[in-house]
Order: sequence, then structure tokens, then C-alpha cells
Amino acid sequence: MNTVPKPPSGHFNVLYFASASSLTSKQHEALPAPLPLGQLFGALEERYPGMKSKILDSCLVTVNLEYVDVPPPGDDSGAVIKEGDEVAIIPPVSSG
Amino acid sequence: MNRIEDLKHKIAKAEAELLRLKEDLAQAESEGQVHVNGGAKDSTWKWPLPATDYERYSRQMVIPGVGTKGQLRLKAASVLIVGAGGLGCPAAAYIAGAGVGTLGIVDDDTVETSNLHRQIAHASSRVGMSKVESAITYLKEYHQAHWFPVPPHRALHHHSLLTRSPLLPLHIITFLHVEQPQYLLHPLTATSLNPTVTYHAHNTRLTPENAESIVSKYDLVLDCTDHPAIRYLVSDICVLLRKPLVSASALKTDGQLMVLNYPASAVGDESGGPCYRCVFPRPPPPESVVSCGEGGILGPVVGVMGVLQALEAIKVVTSGAVDPSPPATPVPASSKPSMLLFSGTAAPPFRSFSMRPRKKGCVACSADATLTLEGLRTGAFDYAQFCGVAAPLAILRPDERISAAECSRRLLAAARGVTSSGEDPSGTTTSAGTPVLLDVREREHFDICSIEGAVNVPIATFLRETATPKVDGDQPLEQRAPAWLPSNVSDDSPIYVVCRVGNDSQLATRRLKEMGLHRNGTRFIGDIRGGMRAWKAEVDSTLPFT
Repeated sequence: MNTVPKPPSGHFNVLYFASASSLTSKQHEALPAPLPLGQLFGALEERYPGMKSKILDSCLVTVNLEYVDVPPPGDDSGAVIKEGDEVAIIPPVSSG
Repeated sequence: MNRIEDLKHKIAKAEAELLRLKEDLAQAESEGQVHVNGGAKDSTWKWPLPATDYERYSRQMVIPGVGTKGQLRLKAASVLIVGAGGLGCPAAAYIAGAGVGTLGIVDDDTVETSNLHRQIAHASSRVGMSKVESAITYLKEYHQAHWFPVPPHRALHHHSLLTRSPLLPLHIITFLHVEQPQYLLHPLTATSLNPTVTYHAHNTRLTPENAESIVSKYDLVLDCTDHPAIRYLVSDICVLLRKPLVSASALKTDGQLMVLNYPASAVGDESGGPCYRCVFPRPPPPESVVSCGEGGILGPVVGVMGVLQALEAIKVVTSGAVDPSPPATPVPASSKPSMLLFSGTAAPPFRSFSMRPRKKGCVACSADATLTLEGLRTGAFDYAQFCGVAAPLAILRPDERISAAECSRRLLAAARGVTSSGEDPSGTTTSAGTPVLLDVREREHFDICSIEGAVNVPIATFLRETATPKVDGDQPLEQRAPAWLPSNVSDDSPIYVVCRVGNDSQLATRRLKEMGLHRNGTRFIGDIRGGMRAWKAEVDSTLPFT
């Protein structure tokens, strides 16, 4: 990964770490903003079928370097990911 | 006597002589120290640390935040390292070097050659030795010639002999308090990294039953383990016993670092730092857990994480957070909970993410916690079950799979243009087309060794490219021929799928059939049972590794 480029206008960046990077074969990508946080997992599952159960259900999610709780699907009362935001998908790494 | 035997004999003789000289040196130095040290016996010495400590630690004692106070705290502290692998080895070296008073290491594994590129405390000469004893051997810098295996029936005899020796330094006796002494170390200390450290060997796996008795002896714990189940256990026992936990992990070129349960407040106290369950309340599905053996690991990546663990441990200890003497030192504000991610191939390589304090409803550390020491002791928490066990995948019927030996026979027969045998489950005896061998391992595995003629499409790529399209109007799957399938193969050319051990190949086979590529049975599609591992066992023993 080279320095992550700024997302194009109307988009936010998602960073994929560890197994999320392996599954998507990407280290980052830009997705359309705004997006309610509660719809993030659905949007990713649509792009990468199987990602929810394999990665997202057990990962840590941050927005702009801060930990966030992802609300359950359909619950749009939570925060909204805005244009220019940086979301990180951080699955646990267990080995050592 | 041939040349090799002769050299071995000469080396053994030289090593014995070297050993004798080092013993003499150790003896001379320990006698000499009484005069230069100015320790307890010298009433004119008025400083809190012995003179040798000032010499040894001068470079770190002048660092703001360490000082004499910090060094005294290190000397008084006891640190437990769980896991003597890629993280534990460098962490142990720096923590011992920094002058911690007591260092315990827990592990039940033995040294393998494939560990040595990253587990820097071990050595080729100690392959097969317990990792804990190998690591302590390294920390004490014993050469191979200085340890020797002792048959179990003789261990007790040697043990009592050594412990009775008046010349034996105290920490050697401590080291011999291992559950099952299998190796005895020569009492030579003057050459070691830091002779002031007392080492405790715990030659065992950390379990819910023994966790309390082991961890309670220490002030601070480093999680250097390699599996989710033990990570949850280490975190839980640290919460219950109120020990700060420095947790790190690494795989491929990535690493993670967190200081957990810091401050180590009582269960239910919201001022405490988050635990592992607060950060990762749900374990990853077992089939997604990748070991270093499968995923690979670069030595400096896991090394940098272990070194960072040592740094965090030194910071926790020198800050006074585990110093029992009053006044109680508050945890420095700079230690707001965070997770540091390292990506060895990224720019920037380090990113720090801030985390929340303890999670409401956490089963381990919140006011609603259900975890207790009693529950842990009595096995109320089944960590293996919580994290799940990857069951051997069996999604194909037996007749959809073939053995490596049978696959090899068919490939050879096809290459010679021989009619396929009647063993073909499709029942056809007509000449089948040229077989296609699809290898779904990662590219790097494939590049190291593969079966002749195989095409490689890594499983992640394969599953993504063949995923059922969700958007209406896309071409139906069966009409899109995969790019790796040569356009000139006939409809009855069999497709054999292989992976490392025979799991991913089943997924790929199932997917190929869902795509209709078996042409309603005209074409045989099946996987090789046991994957490349079976191929090595049954067909080609020269495969360098699987």
C-alpha cells in the first residue's frame, strides 16, 4: 500500500487490514458517500459475498481513526459515513 | 574414523575446554565482584542500586521516565511472557536486558527448524528442545555444549546433585523448578545477557485450570500466543487477577499491538482499560483463522511487534502502575487505549487507532460480567468451543473426490493418450479430453512447487470471480467460461482441483459444478483428497514442503 490517495469527490475510503485485505485483494478502496454506518456491512457484503460472516462479524471498525460501534442492519439511527471519511476494517490477527 | 567423526570429536574436545575456561572465568569474576561491586557487604556504598547496575543500565536510566526510580521498579517487577515464539523471543530479550527482576515464560511447544527464521532465541542446535528451555538457554547464553538431555529416570538424581552444590547461584536452582526437568543447564552466568534476572520456566500450555496459579505470581503479562482461544483466556485471567496485558500478534507482513486492561481496575469499574473481549467480542470463524504455517510470516514483522511489546512493558513498569509501594501511581494520560497496526508493506507502516474504554455489557470486565475465577477453574468457560474448531470440510461426496495416486495415474494415462480407465465415476470408457488441473493455493505456494501442467487461480480470486452475480441482467454464470479454462478443451475434459490440504479444493469443485461446467455429468469435476500434502505422501516425495 502506498499512501492512500484522497477519495474522489462524493466518496469515502475504506482501508482493509489483515484477512480483510486478503479477501478483497485490496488494501483500500473508495465507496460512495454518504452512507449510514448501519449499511456499511451490507454494502461490503454485496461487493464481496461471504465477507460478513468471514470478516465483518468479528472485526473492529474505526472511522477517522476512532473506534465505532456498527449498528445492526436496518438501524440507520447511528452515525453516517461522510464524504472524505476514512473507515478501517480491522479483523483480529491471532498468530504470533 | 572418517573426517566428519574426527571433526566432531575435535569440536567436542574444544568445547569441553572452552566450558572449563568459562567456568574458571565465572568463578574469578564472581570472586572479583565482591571487591568492586560494593553491594550489601560494603557499608560505604550509599546508593540504592548496586554499582554493577549503574554500569549496566546507565544508558536507559538517563531516559526521562526511567531514572533510578524506574530502574528500581524494573528490578522489583515480575513479567510473564505467554508464548516463546516470534513475539516472545524478542520481547524476552529486551525485557531481560532492561533488568526486570523476574521473567516467566509459558509454552508447551518444542523448537522446530521452521521457527528459526523469526524465533530468534532458539537455535538449530536446540531443535526438539522445549521452547521455554531453549529461550532461557538463549537468555543465559549457554552454548549447545552446556545443556544436555537427561533421561527421565536420572533427572531427579542430577537435580539433587546440582541443588546441593554450594557454588550454584540461586537463579539456577529456580530454573530447575520446572514441571518436568528434561534438560539441565550448566551453572555458568558470567556470559549471559543479564545475570541479574531470575527466570521461571513454565513448560506447559496455559489452561483455564492452571492460569490462575501461574499468572498470579506476576505483575504484568505479555500475550505472545498464536490462537484466538488462548488470547481470550489470557485476557480473561488478566482481568480477573487485575494484571495489565500487553497484547501483540503478527501474520504475513501485518502486526497488531494493544495494551489491554490498563489501568487494571476491578471488574465492573468503568475507569479500567478495555480487555480483549471489549475489542473483539466475537471470535473470528475458525475456518478463517490462518496460522503462520499457512499464511506465512516475515521475521522482522513479528520481531518488531515483539520489540514493541517489550517497550510497552517497560513503560508500564517504570510508570509505577504495577509498583505495590504507596503512593499509588496513576496511569499516565498518554496511555489512552489504542491499537497500533503495523503493515510492513504500507506507507505509512504504522497507524494508531483509538479505542473506547471498557465495553458496556462485556462478559469479562463490565459490571455485567459473568466471568469468575471459580468458573474458570471449574471449566465453565470452554474456550475451544467459544472459538470453534474448524471441522474437516466434507461438502463433496466420496465419488466427487479422488486420491492423489489415482489422479496421478489418470494424468499420466491422459498424457500417453491412453483411454481413460473404467474407474471413472462417470462410467465413460471413451477417450476423455485433455485433463485440466486447477490449483487454488496462493500464488506463492504454487510458485514454490506445483504439479506439472497445473494452472493456478488462488481461492480468494476464484471465489470472487465466480461469485453469483447479484445484479439483474448479468450473464448467467454457466455462460461465462473461466479465463483459466483453455478454450480448446473439449466438453468431456475432466477438471481436477487441488489445494494445500483438501478444503479449498472442495469449495472450488462445488462452485464449478454450480456453474454447470460438469455439463450434466459429461465432464468429471473432482478434487484431490488431502491436497498437495497427499500428493507429497502418495506421488512425489520430493515436493520441498506443503
